[in-house]
Amino acid sequence: RPVIVVHGGAWAVPDALAEVSVAGVKAATRAGNVTLMRGGGALDAVEVAVRTMEDDPAFDAGHGAVLNTDGEVELDALIMEGRTLATGAVSSVRNIANPVSLARAVMEKVHSPPPPPPPPLPFPHAPLFCAACLYRLFTCERVKTSSAHLASPRAESVTLPKLHRDRGSCPEGGAMAGCNPTPVGSWAHDTVGAVALDSCGNVASATSTGGIRYKMVGRVGDSPVIGSGGYADNRSGAVSCTGHGESILKVTLARLILSHMDRGKAACEAVERSLRYMGERVQGGGGAVAVAPTGDWTACFTTERMAWAAIHGGILHY
Amino acid sequence: YSITLIPMLPVVVVHGGAGHIPKDRAEISCVGVKEAARAAYSILRSGGSAMDAVVEAVAMLENNPVYNAGRGSVLNVTGEVEMDALVMDGRTLASGAVSAVRRVANPIRLARLVMEKTSHLCLTAEGASQFARTMGVPEVPEESLITDYARMRWKKNLDPDTNPMECQTGKMGTVGAVAVDLEGNVACATSTGGMTNKMEGRVGDTPCVGCGGYADNHIGAVSSTGHGETIMKVTLSRLILFHMEQGKSPEEASDEALAYMKERVHGLGGVVVVDPKGVWSAHFSSLQMSWAAAQQEQLHYGLYHGEDFTEPV
Repeated sequence: RPVIVVHGGAWAVPDALAEVSVAGVKAATRAGNVTLMRGGGALDAVEVAVRTMEDDPAFDAGHGAVLNTDGEVELDALIMEGRTLATGAVSSVRNIANPVSLARAVMEKVHSPPPPPPPPLPFPHAPLFCAACLYRLFTCERVKTSSAHLASPRAESVTLPKLHRDRGSCPEGGAMAGCNPTPVGSWAHDTVGAVALDSCGNVASATSTGGIRYKMVGRVGDSPVIGSGGYADNRSGAVSCTGHGESILKVTLARLILSHMDRGKAACEAVERSLRYMGERVQGGGGAVAVAPTGDWTACFTTERMAWAAIHGGILHY
Repeated sequence: YSITLIPMLPVVVVHGGAGHIPKDRAEISCVGVKEAARAAYSILRSGGSAMDAVVEAVAMLENNPVYNAGRGSVLNVTGEVEMDALVMDGRTLASGAVSAVRRVANPIRLARLVMEKTSHLCLTAEGASQFARTMGVPEVPEESLITDYARMRWKKNLDPDTNPMECQTGKMGTVGAVAVDLEGNVACATSTGGMTNKMEGRVGDTPCVGCGGYADNHIGAVSSTGHGETIMKVTLSRLILFHMEQGKSPEEASDEALAYMKERVHGLGGVVVVDPKGVWSAHFSSLQMSWAAAQQEQLHYGLYHGEDFTEPV
């Protein structure tokens, strides 16, 4: 029977964001499940689930992404399907509303003639997204994307006041009152992701993020790196990870989790073991959602909180 | 009579790319990896770290125009050079990488700086260049990295009738090295110009931890070369180390993983592997891979399957 499991990021989610985060993952799970129930594949389901969260400013992906040290938004995403191991990823992309769909385009369309070049943007470096700064929204210029066929319809209709481009710190006054940058140790890293198993026995995984606040320009974390941010293989299962990106990379967390599942461990134990190893070996915290070809699934984390939801056998868990 | 036991450590294994190297370039390809292995071994013998050794070996190959790394890199579809590189330290699992970086002579050194001077593991494109500037790494002219050979291959592939994917799988190789030093620390380094006529911004396996390379003192170190997209699909380096964790030797693990890569996703490649005790291998499923290894004062090298020539270091 089909399964979909979704996460909205493993980190110390503050109380003020807790409710919207849970609401967000539930909505994403339901959206992905609708796809599965209509006979759609695992790949379609994870893409839909992640798009839903990219469009939701509560999460650090697409809309709501955090800013790098230049005050700009750079996004990463990864998608993988378990039958052929086909995969697509984008890193440090700008001006794209749904990086997960761009990643899918990389996976499916890169070997055919490239699409025509996008029309030039009027302000090449203008951030064209809403970016979350703790509990407040940066406000941006009118959102446009350069790849019209990937634009989320909602993105086009949003018009917001101009962005205050204060590098490396939160703007003062008005909408930004009370904005308080978090210390390094508790940087938010609420990447979003989803895994699914469809009725044909195919698994898929998708992960998307805006990275960590005040990251260096061009910093690439775990999310777009195959085997770290996510992995999917019909023979083993699918995983999507979140947490401290550098630590996840060092232990190739997604692939590590699946290596335990390959050796017969239950999804839950595989994730717990791997997260524990990551904590001990490289002092990093995180979380993951995983699904096995049998339908066994889990959502586990070593950070304080992780918003997650799953639908299996018609029941929503969260 | 007496037996003198020469210790297994240190060891370095270097590769100059897996694929199909035209005969007239085959010999030069072997010369370069032998030189790099000798230089790295000398560092190790005088107590240098595995990380120093692999970075030196790869930097030499980047400077050598014969290899698809640094100078001599293949060109992307617009005729420009974009390079990827990765280093990893087996003791701490620390890692550094750059992807799609332009106009630096030694991406491997920049990757090492990412590891040592930032809290991140990978910087890409313009971000990597910005970082290079802050580190005082000089920007070099594009032309200094481009060879006639690379330009010739690029022009040929612009012909709409050629299929770059077929024409060039590993024809000119990614370079890499693994080593274990006198203290038993392992490290890996891998560097490449990528695939000829690749799309701008295309990033292959090389800078991805677990794909282009991986190093863990508890298991061993791997550096990969070959068809990047398929190496990524099977996370080749990490896969080999999973097999070694289950008790397989570097050779067995390499062959099994390469066979899996061929069967599951139809890709060919090659890997150099070393374990913390100094057992090493250089195996490939492609037609050729230039490689050289130094251990116990002996230099081993080869190009075609089954070759293992030896001479004193």
